[in-house]
Amino acid sequence: MTHQPRDTFCGRTRREFIWQAGAGFTALPLVSMLAGDGFLDSQAVAADGTSSYTNPLAPKAPHFAPKAKSVIFLFMYGGPSHIDTFDYKPKMYGMDGKTVEVKTFGRGGRKNGGRIVEPKWKFKQYGECGKWVSELFPNVATCVDDIAFLQSMTADSPIHGSAMLMMNSGKIISGAPALGSWVTYGLGSVNENLPGFVVMLDKTGGPISGAKNWSSGYMPASYQGVLMRSVGTPILDLKPPQGMSDAVQRKVLDRLLAKNREHQLKQPDNSDLEARISSYELAYKMQQHAPEAVDFSSEDERTKKLYGLDQPRTQDFARKCILARRLVERGVRFIQVYSGGNHNDHNWDAHGDLEKNHNFHAGNTDRPIAGLLKDLKQRGMLDETLVVWGGEFGRQPTAEYAKGTGRDHNSFGFTMWMAGGGIKGGITVGTTDELGSAAVEKPYHVKNLHATILQQLGLDPNKLSYFYGGLDQKLVGVEHVEPIADVT
Amino acid sequence: MQRFHWIATSCAVAVLFSFGQRAGAEDGNPAGQVDFAREVQPILAKRCYKCHGSGEAEGGLRLHTREAAVADLDSGEVAVVPGKARASAMVHRISAEDENDRMPPEGKPLSDEEIAVIRRWIDQGAQWGKHWAFTKVQRPAEPKVSDAKWVSNPIDTFVFSGLDNANLKPAPPAGKVELLRRAYYDVIGLPPTPEEVDAFLADESPDAFEKVVDRLLDSPHYGEKWARHWLDLVRYAETNGYERDNPKDNVWKYRDYIIQALNDDKPYDDFVIDQLAGDEREQATAESITATGFYRLGLWDDEPVDREQAYYDGLDDVVVTSTQAFLGLTVGCARCHDHKLDPIPQTDYYRMMAFFHNLQHGNTMRNVATEEEKKKHAERVAQHGAELEALRKQIAAVEDRIHETFSNPEKEDAKDKVVRERMIAQRRGKVLSKDDLRDYLALKQQEQRMARTVLAPLDKALAAQEKGDRGPETFVLGRGSAHAKGEKVEPGFPEIISDGNAEVPEQGRNGSSLRRMTLAKWIVSPENPMTARVMVNRIWQFHFGRGLVRTSSDFGYQGTPPTHPELLDWLASEFIARDWSMKSMHKLMMMSSTYQMSTQPNEAALAKDPTNDLLWRFDMRRLTAEEIRDSILVAGGTFNPKMFGPNIFPPLPQEILATASRPGNGWGKSSPEESARRSIYIRIKRSLRHPMLVGFDAPDTDSSCAVRVSTTVPTQALSMINSKFMNEQAGILAKRLLRERPGELDAQAAHAIRLTTSRTPGDDEVKADVAFIQSLQNDEGLSTEEALRMYCLVVLNTNEFIYLQ
Repeated sequence: MTHQPRDTFCGRTRREFIWQAGAGFTALPLVSMLAGDGFLDSQAVAADGTSSYTNPLAPKAPHFAPKAKSVIFLFMYGGPSHIDTFDYKPKMYGMDGKTVEVKTFGRGGRKNGGRIVEPKWKFKQYGECGKWVSELFPNVATCVDDIAFLQSMTADSPIHGSAMLMMNSGKIISGAPALGSWVTYGLGSVNENLPGFVVMLDKTGGPISGAKNWSSGYMPASYQGVLMRSVGTPILDLKPPQGMSDAVQRKVLDRLLAKNREHQLKQPDNSDLEARISSYELAYKMQQHAPEAVDFSSEDERTKKLYGLDQPRTQDFARKCILARRLVERGVRFIQVYSGGNHNDHNWDAHGDLEKNHNFHAGNTDRPIAGLLKDLKQRGMLDETLVVWGGEFGRQPTAEYAKGTGRDHNSFGFTMWMAGGGIKGGITVGTTDELGSAAVEKPYHVKNLHATILQQLGLDPNKLSYFYGGLDQKLVGVEHVEPIADVT
Repeated sequence: MQRFHWIATSCAVAVLFSFGQRAGAEDGNPAGQVDFAREVQPILAKRCYKCHGSGEAEGGLRLHTREAAVADLDSGEVAVVPGKARASAMVHRISAEDENDRMPPEGKPLSDEEIAVIRRWIDQGAQWGKHWAFTKVQRPAEPKVSDAKWVSNPIDTFVFSGLDNANLKPAPPAGKVELLRRAYYDVIGLPPTPEEVDAFLADESPDAFEKVVDRLLDSPHYGEKWARHWLDLVRYAETNGYERDNPKDNVWKYRDYIIQALNDDKPYDDFVIDQLAGDEREQATAESITATGFYRLGLWDDEPVDREQAYYDGLDDVVVTSTQAFLGLTVGCARCHDHKLDPIPQTDYYRMMAFFHNLQHGNTMRNVATEEEKKKHAERVAQHGAELEALRKQIAAVEDRIHETFSNPEKEDAKDKVVRERMIAQRRGKVLSKDDLRDYLALKQQEQRMARTVLAPLDKALAAQEKGDRGPETFVLGRGSAHAKGEKVEPGFPEIISDGNAEVPEQGRNGSSLRRMTLAKWIVSPENPMTARVMVNRIWQFHFGRGLVRTSSDFGYQGTPPTHPELLDWLASEFIARDWSMKSMHKLMMMSSTYQMSTQPNEAALAKDPTNDLLWRFDMRRLTAEEIRDSILVAGGTFNPKMFGPNIFPPLPQEILATASRPGNGWGKSSPEESARRSIYIRIKRSLRHPMLVGFDAPDTDSSCAVRVSTTVPTQALSMINSKFMNEQAGILAKRLLRERPGELDAQAAHAIRLTTSRTPGDDEVKADVAFIQSLQNDEGLSTEEALRMYCLVVLNTNEFIYLQ
């Protein structure tokens, strides 16, 4: 595979290239003219009929040398409470039930004060860095020296629908491509047998807005996230139906190939036909090789234990984390694993009983997440694999209702963390106020997080653009956005 | 593989130079008068305007008007000195050897040809002209051509003269079967039946094809096929998106309006007025009100984080969609600041927005019942009320009797209605006779039943609804923020394509400001330079695979210039002259020799014009997602042609349903017969799309889509071979073959080929297919039907089935 410098196309900027190709066309799937040697390079003409078409998923060289090759985004859907997990607020203990003045904005609207719900778990210091972590994550706590905590995250919306879109696509308005789509668009996929952008959902269902969270928006559908299951057939339609043996299927494909070759004689110059012929062979290869990714028989017992695959409680998330690591080993660029699905307490959305909710979800995921970090590290993969943890927002310091411990949403300040992929470990950047109600020191926006992820992958967040609707669209928006320099 | 690699590269390189070269090559006179609009403006737009356009003025220089370009700069230099290229700073900068001095700073320097064009243009006086798309449509004369025989109608004169100038010959006519399939899919999106193929082959009359075209344009399926094109443009979807992604009730009536309007050949100007302002027509009808569902197709966040901003986002969606769809302009880019590349100032955006500003937000429904229906409905309501009233009186009389028997303290308690009810229930058995009690209970039951009865509501449609006769004040919003109100603006048309302000009536009527009607009338005025050009170009695109202007929703500076500018203008003027009849334009295009050429390659032409910009042949195309699914249903014979009405819900794989936050929620269950209807009727749920349609590039519905991409990826192959749908459909086709050609394997194979390609296969081909089926039976032990099913899977997967010639 030959890698061309990614910032130019035949020595032109992308913008210019599009111009010269006579294609300032509103949905141009033009990515890289020279990239990769994948089978679909033979697609000569794109939908607009003028620009040359390459396999949208062919591997492409980054803008500059990348620190990370893959991303595993552990999405804690529903919004975990930062002050009960990683953002230690010692002064809040003993304040339970006290009324304070604090500006909050959640699904219950804007409020100017409320009843404090003190953090419900004890915190302890861990690692050389001495990071305070609550009892909810005793295993992740043992990895803090590899983690950079972003304790001053902010987002534009405290409402699930728009907040999910923001965390996944950078915009609160539906219709923009997902982060994983941008990554696949920018870098392609190095494994022809697997998708470049994989999504694993919780067994209780997808997050709200379903497929919009991994949609490729105005980009071609080839960049959308592909759902993968960690048990059974991993990808939709990957398995031949019952009654179609491999021998029968091979004959079907051979006969199809022969008929397509015959048809091709009439239009030898049309490479779309050739591309489609090749796509069947590639599909056949995928069918042979992709199931191997979900076959854990080669995993040793120690590894399985490390992730918690042996415990009923953690089995499900463990399986997904192991699969995520296996996908990284196989060259998948972007993997998103959801903890929590459906509505209410099926995810981290603790409006009612905070303790019950967070004990449940943290208990299901703590060990697998720690296992993932340790396993990546022991295999020497953590350096090139960026792990991101967090939800679409955090939670408020005050109670949502007159009774109970439930907390409403909080997008004014919350915690996310990153590990591996060139991210500095054992550090914490930014702070929230004493109650964790809002970011005060070094506030970072979701866009800064996205910019950091792209940067670690070797993509310039302010350059990676896709021409649509008369504009060079970017994941981070039209205005310049800085990656978070403190952690890289 | 290597060979195709080479083609891919050569195309790319050829494309790079084709536009630049043609300008010089065509006029054959490199020293001739430079055409600013076609030759200079595109260079300025693509290489200069980002920093020196209407929006930006790096170093004080703007190149968007002559006045600005010839002005003294802060540095004392003058960028453009008319008549003196050598004295012009611009020429020095673009041709500078030193990279630090050279403009533009990014990317490759301008080519020698481009620099030469700029020099000549300045030497010739640096005349400024309007961008080609912003000038009034002028009907050009038809060029004289050297081969009159090839010319079937005026379209061909423009195409032929272009080919002739480049020394190219048009491809020979397409074969009859190829032409027939092309016409069927283009017009109705469905294949011809074998009988229709036979009839066409047998018809040797000179107007055989014309008869087919007429028949297809009369088919109700025409509206279904072309409605789909329109629905892409207006970002049609049937749910609101976001967390709940709730259904838009009755939204399908808009889809049905489009289908019916197309089938009726509603003139395009009326079609536009209906959708933009059908409710503001003097004689608004159910139909014209339903058409304004156009405004209600977009996203709608019922729980926005910032209500006011969301309101403006909703208006933005309308401005963006309507300016792209009707005008081919990307006005949306001027929401936050002046358009960087096109001459669209930010005020233009807000002046345009002002036309829509009086619209209510959200999914407003309007009554579309006829007077007769309203009258009947009122009668029904009154009658129902009267009957209920009478019943309640009877019941009250009986209860009063029981009440009479209460003691005084009991009567005091019974002042509480709930208590009274309970006491009556306890006492009634004692007070009433057996018969009376039975009658009383029957009355009570009847009353409850009637009270629960929901009368069929009056017919309603999602439609535009304004807030009153007068529109609100509109302000420019700083950086597009709802909270940064600036200068006040009045409704007005974009400056670049209009003279002055819109004349909106002081006072509207019937709760509407008539602003939208003002806009709609301006859009469809024959004076508007964009409307006819944009629409004929779309019609061309959907017949030929690409528009004469490739960027069919962007005719601005960033768009590609037309490959055939005179043809575009001729078609636009013809469209208006034909009273905006779309069917008439379809026929005109389809009856041209240009349309009827074959797709055959030709080495000389491939070398000279590999991307077929000059139209030396017809371009092959893949069927659209909907055409693929519909054709599979047609092949199996279970296709259900039922038109119109609420959506269908064909079964989705469990894996897809599981992606919803409430798995399975919002996806109904249709019978197999209903599920076999055309794809246009499948529910379009924003967060849960039909995997096969999306897999074959049905567009995202959150914004307007003018050109669908056509991707080829292996997951398509997986679903075409392994999916439940495909395997079921292959089985259905196999059964059809067994039923219609019982007992003869070769006849079955031949029939399958005809059903999927319209072509009668040769003996060798059939023999090879039969050998394949037999080997599945003999070597793999499949039953006759199973083997045939596998064969059907093969034919449904062939390129010949999926690609049109």
